[in-house]
Amino acid sequence: MESDENRIDRNNRKTSRKKMIVIALIPLIVLSGMLVFLLGPGMSILNIGIPLPEITIEKIEFQNDKIVAFIRNTGPEGVEVAQADINDRMIPAAIEPSKTLSRLAEAKVIVPFSWIAGVPYEVGITSSDGTRFSKSVEAAALAPTPNVQQASYFALIGIYVGVIPVLIGLLWFPFIKRLGMNKYKFFLSLTAGLLVFLGIDALIESNGIVAENIAGAFNGQVLIVMITIITFLVLLYTSEKLVDRAIMKSDANSSKSNLVTYHSSSSSSSSTTKDPQKQQQQQQQQQQQLAKPFAIAMMIAIGIGLHNFGEGLAIGAAVLLGEVALSTFLIVGFTLHNTTEGLAIVAPMAKSGGKVTIQKLIVMGLIAGVPTIIGAWIGGFLYSPIAAIIFLSIGAGAIFQVVFSITSWMSSNASEPRKALLSTPMIAGFTVGMIIMYGTSLLIPS
Amino acid sequence: MSRSKIILIAILLTGSLTTAFAISFLSEVSVVVAQNNNNVFSKEEEKTTTKETIVTGGHGTGYNTVSTTGDVLDSINADERTDLTIDPMKYLREFNYGKVSTTDNGIRLHEFTIIAQDKNLEVSPGVFMDAWTFNGTIPGPTIRATEGDLVKINFINNGSKPHTMHFHGIHQSQMDGVFEIIAPGGSFTYEFTAEPFGLFLYHCHMQPLEEHISKGLYGVYIVDPKTPRPPADEMVMVMNGYDNDFDTENNFYTVNGIPNYYMHHPIQIEKDKLIRVYLVNILEFDQINNFHLHANLFHLYRTGTSLTPNEYTDMITFSQGERAILELSYKYPGPYMFHAHKTEFAEKGWTGLFLVKEDQSEPDVTAFKKGENAVYPPEIGNNTFTTQTKTKDSQSAAVVSYGEASQGGS
Repeated sequence: MESDENRIDRNNRKTSRKKMIVIALIPLIVLSGMLVFLLGPGMSILNIGIPLPEITIEKIEFQNDKIVAFIRNTGPEGVEVAQADINDRMIPAAIEPSKTLSRLAEAKVIVPFSWIAGVPYEVGITSSDGTRFSKSVEAAALAPTPNVQQASYFALIGIYVGVIPVLIGLLWFPFIKRLGMNKYKFFLSLTAGLLVFLGIDALIESNGIVAENIAGAFNGQVLIVMITIITFLVLLYTSEKLVDRAIMKSDANSSKSNLVTYHSSSSSSSSTTKDPQKQQQQQQQQQQQLAKPFAIAMMIAIGIGLHNFGEGLAIGAAVLLGEVALSTFLIVGFTLHNTTEGLAIVAPMAKSGGKVTIQKLIVMGLIAGVPTIIGAWIGGFLYSPIAAIIFLSIGAGAIFQVVFSITSWMSSNASEPRKALLSTPMIAGFTVGMIIMYGTSLLIPS
Repeated sequence: MSRSKIILIAILLTGSLTTAFAISFLSEVSVVVAQNNNNVFSKEEEKTTTKETIVTGGHGTGYNTVSTTGDVLDSINADERTDLTIDPMKYLREFNYGKVSTTDNGIRLHEFTIIAQDKNLEVSPGVFMDAWTFNGTIPGPTIRATEGDLVKINFINNGSKPHTMHFHGIHQSQMDGVFEIIAPGGSFTYEFTAEPFGLFLYHCHMQPLEEHISKGLYGVYIVDPKTPRPPADEMVMVMNGYDNDFDTENNFYTVNGIPNYYMHHPIQIEKDKLIRVYLVNILEFDQINNFHLHANLFHLYRTGTSLTPNEYTDMITFSQGERAILELSYKYPGPYMFHAHKTEFAEKGWTGLFLVKEDQSEPDVTAFKKGENAVYPPEIGNNTFTTQTKTKDSQSAAVVSYGEASQGGS
């Protein structure tokens, strides 16, 4: 009887699954039918208005005796490029791969031109219907070519701007470690303040790139918000998993060592079972307290690494696009600005009471710092505005996740979470952190 | 413990600093290496890129070139074009006297049919504009009669907007092409005596005037004196522009309808022969326009209403609607530029060449098209990289020659 019922149940389930698939597909079938109808012949009645062409000039490079513009057809239809000009003066040019661009297709326009360094130029592209699209560059500068010299130059900038400052910041570890609880809280929330500033900075930066270089067709601003939120959620999820795994591991280790006593006590008498349970809970709490700061520090290091990657991209791209004259002053500004990032990494670990090895610190420092070099390479040699905003948004999401982790960690340790977060040292630290970042950011001419 | 940690971090810092210094030192060294390598690199590239198309920048001698595997955006050469605004070579020396007959009073009558029509025309290589035309071309046909003759124009408006024909010269109010508006599909007959002798123009006079003129509704009207001017190689030159993106600013400037056309197809003239140019400025939007002749001067007859020249010069500036007859002859054979000495206009298409020939036999126009002549197109290197190395040596020379070519011998 039971087996029959089961069988019927299973059959029901089977048919319902089939049904489910069909039900799910019906709207899609109707939709595709509608698309066929709309795109089929004789539907010109819906073509209202004239589709205007749109060509976006995404990047302009100044090479030896030529100006190269990277363009994209961001209009609703295919477009034919007719002419190129420099400063609105007709100049014959080459276009690769073809002058016919389908929607969202890219092309490279090469204009032979004896440009002068430091002088502003406007590149114009005229489509076959006579519409002209243009983009200007503030000051022409020779585009870096990917060779040993340029690569080492960018690596050098990356080391000065990213690696060294972070490592300097790590030197605050012993200082933070010796601080009283209130002062420690101050510095921890100062870290949060620094990070929030960096996150907002990344968002604004990527918004700027969207406004200047990315066509409306890509919905750049929505892309920023989407990537930031997704990064935030994914990192939150993975960091929780990381912490859980760390606890599980340490649990397993400790239970092994305690195995004998644990077993003996449980087997000997049932009355003493309460004690080991308590013991276990205590242990778990301890492990959690140890594992969490490490995880947070690691997440901070990764988040800052992504941010520094974005910073590297920005520096490399600025050199490539001739938007900035890299000076010692700029490097000094970045160095001061980024030293605070090292502080942000060590702060959560300082009070964990666990062993913090030098190797771990250095690894974290490198995770945070080295991406600057990689970013500078990518930004300087193969800059793409889309890639830039993607990385900057990932960085922003990572940073906000870190801030979230820090604050939730701080509040979870306290008996009254809300009061703990709104205490004087916390608010003061957060405020000072933001102000420090703003102050040091003024040293970086944008 | 913490002290040793500080020491370790300090060591690490000094380590990375030394690395930084080492890299900066190495990069100094690699500059030299890279410079040496560049030469090798360019030689390797030479072999691989020889089959590519060569694009020459600018329109002067010695300008740098690039080679490409893609398409060429040649804003200057109009050879492979389809819907030209006009055939500038034909237009240059084409004078229309209409259907000539004699009235009962013994007066010579010139009868013309002019049709206004909308047309999508290629105003510059690859660039198309929705134009309005007289008889399908920009500029419209050149109308010519002798002082005292009767001119009769059967005007048909096949365009989508109302138009008129307004002639400069002396005539009655109802023949002025201002108050009688000819609706699409309508027609009108203009009739007037050709007077006085001189160089005039005609254009549509509908509001908005700017739009009707900039879209192409204009042409030249010549009235010859009863005693003809001395025989000469006569030609018409109309200075105009195109606002193909409709922002009330011209994108291209031309003489006789196509930017840079006579740079590739020089106007061939004979040495020592009298050349008479009927020069008209119809340019919309811009305040002035001008004409500058290289290596020569011309006698200027303002509005062509006198047989005595006003001036002997190499340069004449007009506002919109102004015109003059230019008489010149060349003493030496060779190619000579003429262009707007408003350099911006020159660089947007208002340039051309006279090719003064010793006799009829040489040189041939095709020489200019194919670049066998030293003047145009400029020297063509085998590829990008050779040209680059060449221009490194002769960069200043290249720039100078470009400047001379475009700005004239000023």
